[in-house]
Amino acid sequence: MIGAAFGDTLARAQAGDEAAFACIFRDIQPALLRYLRVIAPDPEDVAGETWVQVVAGLGGFRGEEQAFRAWLFTIARHRAADAGRSRARRPAVPLETSGAEDQLTSPDTADLALEAVSARAAVAMIATLPAEQAEIIMLRVVAGLDTADVARIVRKTPGAVRVAAHRGLRRLAGQAERMGVTQ
Amino acid sequence: MSGPDAMHGEMPGFIPGRPGGEHDEPLLDTIFDRRPLPPGAPPEMRALVRTLAAAAGPAEPGELAGEAAALAAFSRLAPSGGVSTAAERPARRWLSGWPARGRLPLTAALVAAAAGLGSIVAAYAGVLPGPIQEMAHVTVGAPAASGGNGSPTHVVSSQPPSSPRVTDSSGHRQARRAGPVPAPSQATSPQPRREPTGRSTGHPVPSCTPGRAHTPPKPSPTQLPPTPGPGQTVGTPRPSATAGCPVIVIQPSSSPTR
Repeated sequence: MIGAAFGDTLARAQAGDEAAFACIFRDIQPALLRYLRVIAPDPEDVAGETWVQVVAGLGGFRGEEQAFRAWLFTIARHRAADAGRSRARRPAVPLETSGAEDQLTSPDTADLALEAVSARAAVAMIATLPAEQAEIIMLRVVAGLDTADVARIVRKTPGAVRVAAHRGLRRLAGQAERMGVTQ
Repeated sequence: MSGPDAMHGEMPGFIPGRPGGEHDEPLLDTIFDRRPLPPGAPPEMRALVRTLAAAAGPAEPGELAGEAAALAAFSRLAPSGGVSTAAERPARRWLSGWPARGRLPLTAALVAAAAGLGSIVAAYAGVLPGPIQEMAHVTVGAPAASGGNGSPTHVVSSQPPSSPRVTDSSGHRQARRAGPVPAPSQATSPQPRREPTGRSTGHPVPSCTPGRAHTPPKPSPTQLPPTPGPGQTVGTPRPSATAGCPVIVIQPSSSPTR
Protein backbone atom coordinates (compact mmCIF):
# COMPACT_ATOMS: atom_id res chain seq x y z
CA MET A 1 0.00 0.00 0.00
CA ILE A 2 1.29 3.43 -0.89
CA GLY A 3 -0.47 5.12 1.99
CA ALA A 4 -0.69 8.83 2.54
CA ALA A 5 1.19 9.60 -0.66
CA PHE A 6 -1.35 7.81 -2.81
CA GLY A 7 -3.46 10.86 -3.57
CA ASP A 8 -0.50 12.83 -4.88
CA THR A 9 0.82 9.84 -6.80
CA LEU A 10 -2.52 9.25 -8.44
CA ALA A 11 -2.86 12.91 -9.37
CA ARG A 12 0.53 12.88 -11.01
CA ALA A 13 -0.30 9.69 -12.87
CA GLN A 14 -3.54 11.22 -14.08
CA ALA A 15 -1.52 14.18 -15.33
CA GLY A 16 0.61 11.83 -17.40
CA ASP A 17 3.54 11.25 -15.05
CA GLU A 18 4.93 7.88 -16.04
CA ALA A 19 7.00 7.49 -12.88
CA ALA A 20 3.92 7.95 -10.74
CA PHE A 21 2.04 5.35 -12.71
CA ALA A 22 4.99 2.96 -12.37
CA CYS A 23 4.85 3.45 -8.61
CA ILE A 24 1.20 2.45 -8.56
CA PHE A 25 1.88 -0.49 -10.86
CA ARG A 26 4.69 -1.88 -8.70
CA ASP A 27 2.57 -1.56 -5.60
CA ILE A 28 -0.43 -3.45 -6.94
CA GLN A 29 0.85 -5.77 -9.64
CA PRO A 30 2.11 -8.56 -7.33
CA ALA A 31 -1.23 -8.78 -5.53
CA LEU A 32 -3.09 -8.56 -8.82
CA LEU A 33 -1.07 -11.35 -10.38
CA ARG A 34 -1.48 -13.60 -7.34
CA TYR A 35 -5.21 -12.97 -7.26
CA LEU A 36 -5.49 -13.82 -10.93
CA ARG A 37 -3.48 -16.99 -10.43
CA VAL A 38 -6.33 -18.20 -8.26
CA ILE A 39 -9.25 -17.21 -10.50
CA ALA A 40 -7.98 -16.86 -14.08
CA PRO A 41 -6.67 -19.34 -16.63
CA ASP A 42 -4.07 -16.93 -18.06
CA PRO A 43 -3.15 -14.62 -15.19
CA GLU A 44 -0.41 -12.68 -16.98
CA ASP A 45 -2.63 -11.96 -19.99
CA VAL A 46 -5.57 -10.96 -17.84
CA ALA A 47 -3.34 -8.72 -15.74
CA GLY A 48 -2.18 -6.95 -18.89
CA GLU A 49 -5.76 -6.41 -20.06
CA THR A 50 -6.64 -5.13 -16.62
CA TRP A 51 -3.92 -2.52 -16.66
CA VAL A 52 -4.88 -1.36 -20.13
CA GLN A 53 -8.41 -0.77 -18.91
CA VAL A 54 -7.14 0.93 -15.77
CA VAL A 55 -5.01 3.28 -17.83
CA ALA A 56 -7.96 4.06 -20.08
CA GLY A 57 -10.15 4.97 -17.13
CA LEU A 58 -7.50 6.47 -14.89
CA GLY A 59 -8.41 10.06 -15.66
CA GLY A 60 -11.98 9.57 -14.57
CA PHE A 61 -11.20 7.90 -11.28
CA ARG A 62 -11.91 9.78 -8.08
CA GLY A 63 -11.32 8.24 -4.70
CA GLU A 64 -8.87 7.04 -2.10
CA GLU A 65 -6.39 4.23 -2.32
CA GLN A 66 -8.80 1.62 -0.99
CA ALA A 67 -11.38 2.58 -3.58
CA PHE A 68 -8.75 2.51 -6.30
CA ARG A 69 -7.74 -1.00 -5.39
CA ALA A 70 -11.35 -2.11 -5.25
CA TRP A 71 -11.93 -0.59 -8.68
CA LEU A 72 -8.86 -2.26 -10.12
CA PHE A 73 -9.70 -5.68 -8.73
CA THR A 74 -13.25 -5.35 -9.98
CA ILE A 75 -11.87 -4.79 -13.48
CA ALA A 76 -9.55 -7.74 -13.04
CA ARG A 77 -12.43 -9.99 -12.04
CA HIS A 78 -14.43 -8.97 -15.10
CA ARG A 79 -11.49 -9.53 -17.42
CA ALA A 80 -10.88 -12.91 -15.81
CA ALA A 81 -14.50 -13.86 -16.41
CA ASP A 82 -14.18 -12.78 -20.04
CA ALA A 83 -11.03 -14.84 -20.41
CA GLY A 84 -12.76 -17.84 -18.91
CA ARG A 85 -15.67 -17.52 -21.33
CA SER A 86 -13.33 -17.05 -24.26
CA ARG A 87 -11.39 -20.14 -23.31
CA ALA A 88 -14.60 -22.13 -22.91
CA ARG A 89 -15.66 -21.18 -26.46
CA ARG A 90 -12.36 -22.29 -27.93
CA PRO A 91 -12.05 -25.93 -28.89
CA ALA A 92 -10.01 -27.96 -26.50
CA VAL A 93 -6.63 -28.65 -28.01
CA PRO A 94 -4.25 -30.78 -25.99
CA LEU A 95 -0.95 -29.06 -25.50
CA GLU A 96 2.36 -30.34 -24.41
CA THR A 97 2.95 -28.83 -21.00
CA SER A 98 5.46 -29.44 -18.33
CA GLY A 99 2.83 -29.64 -15.63
CA ALA A 100 4.16 -26.68 -13.76
CA GLU A 101 1.30 -24.52 -15.01
CA ASP A 102 -1.28 -26.92 -13.69
CA GLN A 103 0.40 -26.96 -10.35
CA LEU A 104 -0.07 -23.21 -10.04
CA THR A 105 -3.83 -23.39 -9.99
CA SER A 106 -4.70 -26.82 -8.70
CA PRO A 107 -1.86 -28.35 -6.78
CA ASP A 108 -2.05 -31.37 -4.64
CA THR A 109 -1.25 -30.07 -1.21
CA ALA A 110 0.89 -33.09 -0.51
CA ASP A 111 3.16 -32.05 -3.36
CA LEU A 112 3.78 -28.57 -2.07
CA ALA A 113 7.10 -28.20 -0.39
CA LEU A 114 6.82 -25.47 2.17
CA GLU A 115 10.12 -25.66 3.88
CA ALA A 116 10.44 -22.03 2.94
CA VAL A 117 7.03 -20.58 2.28
CA SER A 118 7.15 -18.56 -0.86
CA ALA A 119 4.38 -16.34 -2.08
CA ARG A 120 3.81 -18.65 -5.01
CA ALA A 121 3.53 -21.69 -2.76
CA ALA A 122 1.19 -19.90 -0.38
CA VAL A 123 -1.03 -18.77 -3.22
CA ALA A 124 -1.00 -22.29 -4.60
CA MET A 125 -2.17 -23.57 -1.23
CA ILE A 126 -4.99 -21.02 -1.13
CA ALA A 127 -5.96 -22.10 -4.63
CA THR A 128 -6.74 -25.56 -3.31
CA LEU A 129 -9.68 -24.14 -1.35
CA PRO A 130 -13.16 -24.01 -2.86
CA ALA A 131 -13.16 -21.32 -5.52
CA GLU A 132 -15.39 -18.89 -3.65
CA GLN A 133 -13.42 -19.15 -0.42
CA ALA A 134 -10.10 -18.87 -2.25
CA GLU A 135 -11.16 -15.73 -4.12
CA ILE A 136 -12.49 -14.06 -1.00
CA ILE A 137 -9.35 -14.80 0.97
CA MET A 138 -7.19 -13.45 -1.83
CA LEU A 139 -9.21 -10.25 -2.00
CA ARG A 140 -9.21 -9.81 1.77
CA VAL A 141 -5.63 -10.76 2.54
CA VAL A 142 -3.60 -10.24 -0.62
CA ALA A 143 -5.50 -7.36 -2.22
CA GLY A 144 -6.03 -5.78 1.18
CA LEU A 145 -9.71 -5.00 0.70
CA ASP A 146 -12.23 -4.85 3.49
CA THR A 147 -15.32 -7.02 3.75
CA ALA A 148 -17.64 -4.45 2.22
CA ASP A 149 -15.48 -3.97 -0.88
CA VAL A 150 -15.05 -7.71 -1.30
CA ALA A 151 -18.80 -8.18 -1.00
CA ARG A 152 -19.40 -5.68 -3.79
CA ILE A 153 -16.80 -7.31 -6.02
CA VAL A 154 -18.04 -10.87 -5.61
CA ARG A 155 -21.69 -9.73 -5.43
CA LYS A 156 -22.48 -11.26 -2.09
CA THR A 157 -23.58 -9.87 1.21
CA PRO A 158 -20.90 -8.88 3.70
CA GLY A 159 -22.20 -11.58 6.01
CA ALA A 160 -21.80 -14.24 3.35
CA VAL A 161 -18.32 -12.99 2.59
CA ARG A 162 -17.38 -13.16 6.25
CA VAL A 163 -18.70 -16.70 6.63
CA ALA A 164 -16.92 -17.88 3.49
CA ALA A 165 -13.70 -16.22 4.58
CA HIS A 166 -13.78 -17.88 7.99
CA ARG A 167 -14.49 -21.27 6.51
CA GLY A 168 -11.65 -20.83 4.08
CA LEU A 169 -9.24 -19.78 6.80
CA ARG A 170 -10.16 -22.76 8.98
CA ARG A 171 -9.55 -25.14 6.13
CA LEU A 172 -6.35 -23.35 5.19
CA ALA A 173 -5.12 -23.48 8.78
CA GLY A 174 -5.45 -27.25 8.81
CA GLN A 175 -3.64 -27.54 5.52
CA ALA A 176 -0.83 -25.24 6.61
CA GLU A 177 -0.25 -27.22 9.75
CA ARG A 178 -0.23 -30.52 7.89
CA MET A 179 2.21 -29.05 5.40
CA GLY A 180 4.53 -28.18 8.21
CA VAL A 181 4.35 -24.45 7.92
CA THR A 182 5.79 -23.19 11.17
CA GLN A 183 7.21 -19.98 12.40
CA MET B 1 -23.33 -35.52 15.20
CA SER B 2 -19.91 -34.46 16.34
CA GLY B 3 -16.43 -35.61 15.50
CA PRO B 4 -16.18 -38.37 18.08
CA ASP B 5 -19.61 -39.68 17.13
CA ALA B 6 -18.75 -39.99 13.48
CA MET B 7 -17.36 -43.06 11.87
CA HIS B 8 -13.68 -42.95 11.07
CA GLY B 9 -13.13 -40.89 7.98
CA GLU B 10 -16.60 -39.38 7.79
CA MET B 11 -15.51 -35.96 9.05
CA PRO B 12 -11.92 -35.63 7.95
CA GLY B 13 -11.79 -31.88 8.41
CA PHE B 14 -12.98 -31.99 11.99
CA ILE B 15 -10.22 -32.00 14.56
CA PRO B 16 -11.55 -32.66 18.08
CA GLY B 17 -10.40 -30.15 20.61
CA ARG B 18 -9.08 -27.78 17.93
CA PRO B 19 -10.48 -24.44 16.91
CA GLY B 20 -13.63 -24.89 14.92
CA GLY B 21 -17.20 -23.83 14.77
CA GLU B 22 -17.74 -20.21 15.60
CA HIS B 23 -15.76 -19.72 18.77
CA ASP B 24 -12.60 -19.02 16.80
CA GLU B 25 -14.08 -16.14 14.83
CA PRO B 26 -12.41 -13.43 16.93
CA LEU B 27 -9.11 -15.15 16.28
CA LEU B 28 -9.80 -15.28 12.55
CA ASP B 29 -10.76 -11.62 12.53
CA THR B 30 -7.48 -10.88 14.29
CA ILE B 31 -5.67 -12.63 11.48
CA PHE B 32 -7.60 -10.72 8.83
CA ASP B 33 -6.79 -7.46 10.55
CA ARG B 34 -3.12 -8.42 10.62
CA ARG B 35 -2.90 -7.98 14.35
CA PRO B 36 -0.53 -10.16 16.39
CA LEU B 37 -1.95 -13.41 17.65
CA PRO B 38 -2.48 -13.85 21.37
CA PRO B 39 0.18 -15.93 23.15
CA GLY B 40 -2.01 -19.00 23.50
CA ALA B 41 -3.01 -19.22 19.86
CA PRO B 42 -3.09 -22.75 18.44
CA PRO B 43 -0.17 -23.78 16.22
CA GLU B 44 -2.31 -24.19 13.12
CA MET B 45 -3.34 -20.56 13.46
CA ARG B 46 0.31 -19.59 13.56
CA ALA B 47 0.90 -21.64 10.45
CA LEU B 48 -2.06 -19.89 8.87
CA VAL B 49 -0.65 -16.46 9.69
CA ARG B 50 2.66 -17.39 8.12
CA THR B 51 0.98 -18.69 5.00
CA LEU B 52 -1.12 -15.58 4.57
CA ALA B 53 1.87 -13.34 5.19
CA ALA B 54 3.75 -15.14 2.45
CA ALA B 55 0.82 -14.80 0.07
CA ALA B 56 0.71 -11.06 0.69
CA GLY B 57 4.48 -10.64 0.71
CA PRO B 58 6.63 -8.43 -1.45
CA ALA B 59 7.03 -8.95 -5.15
CA GLU B 60 8.94 -12.01 -6.22
CA PRO B 61 11.15 -12.27 -9.29
CA GLY B 62 9.11 -12.19 -12.45
CA GLU B 63 6.02 -10.65 -10.95
CA LEU B 64 6.88 -7.21 -12.28
CA ALA B 65 7.75 -8.48 -15.73
CA GLY B 66 4.71 -6.77 -17.19
CA GLU B 67 5.81 -3.31 -16.11
CA ALA B 68 7.33 -2.41 -19.46
CA ALA B 69 4.13 -3.33 -21.30
CA ALA B 70 2.00 -1.46 -18.80
CA LEU B 71 4.15 1.66 -19.11
CA ALA B 72 3.97 1.41 -22.88
CA ALA B 73 0.19 1.29 -22.66
CA PHE B 74 0.27 4.23 -20.29
CA SER B 75 2.44 6.24 -22.69
CA ARG B 76 0.18 5.38 -25.58
CA LEU B 77 -3.13 6.06 -23.85
CA ALA B 78 -2.05 8.87 -21.56
CA PRO B 79 -0.63 11.79 -23.52
CA SER B 80 1.47 14.42 -21.88
CA GLY B 81 -1.62 16.49 -21.27
CA GLY B 82 -2.94 13.86 -18.93
CA VAL B 83 -5.41 11.04 -19.19
CA SER B 84 -8.74 12.19 -20.54
CA THR B 85 -11.58 11.85 -18.15
CA ALA B 86 -14.66 9.86 -18.93
CA ALA B 87 -16.81 12.96 -18.60
CA GLU B 88 -14.93 14.69 -21.38
CA ARG B 89 -15.68 11.95 -23.87
CA PRO B 90 -18.49 12.81 -26.24
CA ALA B 91 -21.50 10.57 -26.31
CA ARG B 92 -20.89 9.64 -29.93
CA ARG B 93 -17.62 8.08 -28.91
CA TRP B 94 -19.43 5.89 -26.43
CA LEU B 95 -21.70 4.59 -29.13
CA SER B 96 -19.00 4.28 -31.73
CA GLY B 97 -17.06 2.17 -29.31
CA TRP B 98 -19.66 -0.54 -29.67
CA PRO B 99 -18.74 -3.30 -32.00
CA ALA B 100 -20.59 -3.27 -35.30
CA ARG B 101 -22.29 -6.53 -34.51
CA GLY B 102 -23.73 -4.89 -31.40
CA ARG B 103 -25.07 -1.86 -33.25
CA LEU B 104 -26.84 -3.85 -35.95
CA PRO B 105 -29.40 -5.53 -33.65
CA LEU B 106 -30.04 -2.20 -31.96
CA THR B 107 -30.77 -0.50 -35.26
CA ALA B 108 -33.00 -3.36 -36.39
CA ALA B 109 -34.95 -3.23 -33.15
CA LEU B 110 -35.49 0.52 -33.46
CA VAL B 111 -36.68 0.19 -37.06
CA ALA B 112 -39.04 -2.63 -36.15
CA ALA B 113 -40.46 -0.66 -33.23
CA ALA B 114 -41.04 2.40 -35.42
CA ALA B 115 -42.71 0.31 -38.12
CA GLY B 116 -44.97 -1.40 -35.60
CA LEU B 117 -46.01 1.88 -34.06
CA GLY B 118 -46.72 3.37 -37.46
CA SER B 119 -48.83 0.38 -38.42
CA ILE B 120 -50.93 0.71 -35.30
CA VAL B 121 -51.50 4.40 -35.91
CA ALA B 122 -52.49 3.70 -39.50
CA ALA B 123 -54.83 0.97 -38.35
CA TYR B 124 -56.65 3.29 -35.98
CA ALA B 125 -56.82 5.90 -38.69
CA GLY B 126 -58.50 3.31 -40.87
CA VAL B 127 -56.29 3.88 -43.87
CA LEU B 128 -54.93 0.39 -44.27
CA PRO B 129 -56.04 -1.88 -47.10
CA GLY B 130 -59.14 -3.91 -46.38
CA PRO B 131 -57.69 -7.27 -45.30
CA ILE B 132 -54.97 -5.69 -43.25
CA GLN B 133 -57.40 -3.25 -41.69
CA GLU B 134 -59.67 -6.13 -40.75
CA MET B 135 -56.75 -7.99 -39.23
CA ALA B 136 -55.96 -4.90 -37.20
CA HIS B 137 -59.64 -4.71 -36.25
CA VAL B 138 -59.55 -8.23 -34.90
CA THR B 139 -56.18 -8.00 -33.17
CA VAL B 140 -55.89 -4.49 -31.79
CA GLY B 141 -59.44 -3.22 -31.96
CA ALA B 142 -58.91 -0.81 -34.82
CA PRO B 143 -61.97 0.25 -36.81
CA ALA B 144 -63.28 -2.45 -39.06
CA ALA B 145 -62.66 -2.26 -42.75
CA SER B 146 -65.60 -1.34 -44.83
CA GLY B 147 -66.83 -3.90 -47.23
CA GLY B 148 -65.21 -4.34 -50.56
CA ASN B 149 -63.48 -1.09 -51.37
CA GLY B 150 -61.28 -0.97 -48.30
CA SER B 151 -62.32 2.51 -47.30
CA PRO B 152 -63.72 3.14 -43.85
CA THR B 153 -67.44 3.58 -43.29
CA HIS B 154 -68.61 7.14 -43.06
CA VAL B 155 -72.02 7.87 -41.68
CA VAL B 156 -73.21 11.38 -41.84
CA SER B 157 -75.36 12.22 -38.91
CA SER B 158 -77.53 15.21 -38.30
CA GLN B 159 -77.36 14.73 -34.58
CA PRO B 160 -74.73 16.04 -32.24
CA PRO B 161 -71.95 13.60 -31.77
CA SER B 162 -72.99 12.93 -28.19
CA SER B 163 -75.92 10.87 -29.36
CA PRO B 164 -75.10 7.38 -30.38
CA ARG B 165 -76.20 6.97 -33.90
CA VAL B 166 -74.13 4.22 -35.24
CA THR B 167 -74.57 0.66 -34.42
CA ASP B 168 -72.56 -1.88 -36.24
CA SER B 169 -71.07 -5.23 -35.75
CA SER B 170 -68.11 -3.83 -33.94
CA GLY B 171 -70.15 -1.97 -31.39
CA HIS B 172 -68.57 -3.85 -28.56
CA ARG B 173 -65.09 -2.96 -29.64
CA GLN B 174 -66.14 0.59 -30.35
CA ALA B 175 -67.48 0.87 -26.86
CA ARG B 176 -64.11 -0.15 -25.50
CA ARG B 177 -62.32 2.21 -27.83
CA ALA B 178 -64.55 5.14 -27.07
CA GLY B 179 -63.79 4.94 -23.39
CA PRO B 180 -61.74 2.27 -21.75
CA VAL B 181 -63.23 3.08 -18.37
CA PRO B 182 -66.99 3.27 -18.52
CA ALA B 183 -68.77 6.13 -16.93
CA PRO B 184 -70.27 5.42 -13.53
CA SER B 185 -73.73 5.32 -14.98
CA GLN B 186 -72.56 2.79 -17.50
CA ALA B 187 -70.71 0.71 -15.02
CA THR B 188 -73.56 0.46 -12.59
CA SER B 189 -76.49 0.12 -14.91
CA PRO B 190 -75.49 -0.96 -18.32
CA GLN B 191 -78.27 -0.79 -20.78
CA PRO B 192 -78.50 -3.85 -22.93
CA ARG B 193 -78.16 -3.23 -26.59
CA ARG B 194 -80.24 -5.17 -28.97
CA GLU B 195 -78.59 -6.35 -32.07
CA PRO B 196 -80.44 -6.61 -35.35
CA THR B 197 -81.20 -10.18 -34.57
CA GLY B 198 -83.14 -9.01 -31.56
CA ARG B 199 -80.76 -10.66 -29.18
CA SER B 200 -79.55 -8.66 -26.19
CA THR B 201 -75.80 -8.46 -25.77
CA GLY B 202 -75.79 -6.97 -22.29
CA HIS B 203 -73.20 -4.38 -23.29
CA PRO B 204 -73.81 -0.68 -23.03
CA VAL B 205 -74.26 1.36 -26.16
CA PRO B 206 -70.94 2.93 -27.05
CA SER B 207 -70.41 6.57 -26.46
CA CYS B 208 -69.37 8.81 -29.32
CA THR B 209 -67.71 11.28 -27.02
CA PRO B 210 -64.84 9.61 -25.33
CA GLY B 211 -64.13 10.79 -21.87
CA ARG B 212 -67.50 12.41 -21.41
CA ALA B 213 -69.80 10.88 -18.86
CA HIS B 214 -73.28 10.44 -20.14
CA THR B 215 -76.31 8.39 -19.55
CA PRO B 216 -76.56 5.67 -22.08
CA PRO B 217 -79.58 6.13 -24.21
CA LYS B 218 -82.44 3.89 -23.53
CA PRO B 219 -83.42 1.59 -26.28
CA SER B 220 -86.08 3.41 -28.16
CA PRO B 221 -88.39 2.25 -30.84
CA THR B 222 -86.67 4.59 -33.23
CA GLN B 223 -83.51 2.61 -32.96
CA LEU B 224 -84.52 -0.92 -32.44
CA PRO B 225 -87.34 -1.99 -34.63
CA PRO B 226 -86.35 -4.23 -37.47
CA THR B 227 -88.31 -2.15 -39.84
CA PRO B 228 -87.83 1.54 -40.32
CA GLY B 229 -90.24 3.76 -38.57
CA PRO B 230 -91.37 7.20 -39.40
CA GLY B 231 -88.58 9.63 -39.85
CA GLN B 232 -85.96 6.97 -39.86
CA THR B 233 -83.78 5.60 -42.50
CA VAL B 234 -82.49 2.24 -41.74
CA GLY B 235 -79.73 1.23 -43.97
CA THR B 236 -79.62 -2.15 -45.43
CA PRO B 237 -77.42 -4.55 -43.60
CA ARG B 238 -74.04 -4.30 -45.15
CA PRO B 239 -71.76 -7.23 -45.25
CA SER B 240 -69.01 -6.53 -42.86
CA ALA B 241 -65.50 -7.71 -43.35
CA THR B 242 -66.25 -9.91 -40.38
CA ALA B 243 -68.27 -12.70 -41.82
CA GLY B 244 -71.71 -13.13 -40.36
CA CYS B 245 -71.78 -9.77 -38.59
CA PRO B 246 -74.01 -7.40 -40.57
CA VAL B 247 -73.64 -3.69 -40.10
CA ILE B 248 -76.72 -1.56 -39.72
CA VAL B 249 -76.36 2.15 -40.09
CA ILE B 250 -79.24 4.12 -38.67
CA GLN B 251 -79.76 7.60 -39.92
CA PRO B 252 -81.56 9.49 -37.21
CA SER B 253 -84.42 11.83 -37.62
CA SER B 254 -84.42 15.36 -36.40
CA SER B 255 -86.35 14.39 -33.31
CA PRO B 256 -84.34 13.59 -30.21
CA THR B 257 -84.02 9.97 -29.44
CA ARG B 258 -83.44 10.24 -25.73
